[in-house]
Amino acid sequence: MNQEPTYLVLNHFDKDIPEAEKLLVQNFNDSKFEFNTSLENIFSDLDSHDNPASSHMAKIKELGKQYKVNFILLNKIEHKEDRFILDGLLFNTRSGGLIHRRKINLKQYLDGQLNELIMWVGNTLNRQEDEWQKNRETILFMDPEGITYDKTPMGAAIRSLIAPGWGQAYSNKKVSSGVWAGVEASLSLALILSYLNYDKSAKSFLNNTKMYHTTDDEKLVSQYRSSAEKDWNDHIIYSRLAIALASATGTGWVSNSIHAWVFGPRPYTNIYQEWETSPKSKKG
Amino acid sequence: MKFIYHYIILIILLFFSLSCKLYKKEFDNPVDYIANNDLGVGAPALVFYPKTQTIPQGQSVKVESVIVFHTDSTESFTGMHLHIQFPNSLLALDTIKPGLFITDTSNSTPLFTYNFDGTNQIDIYTYFLSAIKLDIEGTGHIADIVFNSISSGTDSVSYNLNYCQMININDEDIPIISRRSAEIVIQ
Repeated sequence: MNQEPTYLVLNHFDKDIPEAEKLLVQNFNDSKFEFNTSLENIFSDLDSHDNPASSHMAKIKELGKQYKVNFILLNKIEHKEDRFILDGLLFNTRSGGLIHRRKINLKQYLDGQLNELIMWVGNTLNRQEDEWQKNRETILFMDPEGITYDKTPMGAAIRSLIAPGWGQAYSNKKVSSGVWAGVEASLSLALILSYLNYDKSAKSFLNNTKMYHTTDDEKLVSQYRSSAEKDWNDHIIYSRLAIALASATGTGWVSNSIHAWVFGPRPYTNIYQEWETSPKSKKG
Repeated sequence: MKFIYHYIILIILLFFSLSCKLYKKEFDNPVDYIANNDLGVGAPALVFYPKTQTIPQGQSVKVESVIVFHTDSTESFTGMHLHIQFPNSLLALDTIKPGLFITDTSNSTPLFTYNFDGTNQIDIYTYFLSAIKLDIEGTGHIADIVFNSISSGTDSVSYNLNYCQMININDEDIPIISRRSAEIVIQ
């Protein structure tokens, strides 16, 4: 009696993974694999059944007899952006039931699909190798404590205190950076213009007052007085405006710095390493 | 970090250097009837211009005698008598000249004469006697009075309204409501 388990492997991948069959054979040489790519989507409606484990018992048994295998291993890999989903199902051809299933959703890493496929099959055979686990762990930084953060909220706050919007730009928040810089630049410009108008009015007031006091001509006295009074009113208005704008600018400036600190750069809870995109052959 | 401290100090210095000072309105020209009115000096008023002068001892000082009307209620006058008192302990009379207003910048020649009592009182008389120019109207400069300073101190040159008079062409009095003195500070 042949003791080694025999598998009918049905690989349904949305992208071609050429090394998959070869790696399975190499890594699990104590098992016998029969590969068949012609049987497509025969279990695609599995999840729509109330009891997926017993939904295709007759078909499984039939395939078991047809291919003379103990198990049917269905591996589905689907890619979504920078992630992939491995849905592995193991059917027993003797009972026709689904005896094992693993569905994982992972960020792609170097030869990740192959490694996860081997780990899944190894799991069904009660066999795990440290190397496979290490390969998976390379997706994570080995020493999170050693990670230094180049960008900090305090760095953002200080930058925004120096120049509004700089801290947000430093945190890669371009829109809020532009908004803060624009608002503060507008307020500062308005403040400068108000101050210049105040200064002009104040100087003109002093000059007209001086001229008023140094003439004994009735008409000139009246003219200088009128001009000086207008300048005096203007210098009061522009002074108040400049003070209001200075308050708004100052408050905005500090708020901008606080905003930069609150929404400043902070470490993510899940950090992935960036990998080369070209796949390499994997040997077990 | 040093850069940040310097930056903050610069911002604070900029803030104080650009601070807005609010000036006080001080309109107190004796020729300005509005300013006089604010001080309770109604028009027509006899005033001196400037209102105050500071000079070193030994120098001469000129005060202008001016009649100030409200622009809405001017009256033509033909003659005027000014009675002026000055502190003879500080000042000695030097010269008295007719003002540009009554001479119409030397275009008319009214009668202009004065009497000094030798102590501290001056009487100035001016009248339009010609057949061409009979009177004059408005605020203007009646006479220049030049003094020599003889000792240091502060005092005033003032009008005595009891003896001052303004008349029109019909020899009727035009009331002079008030007066302002001139302060002289000799250092």
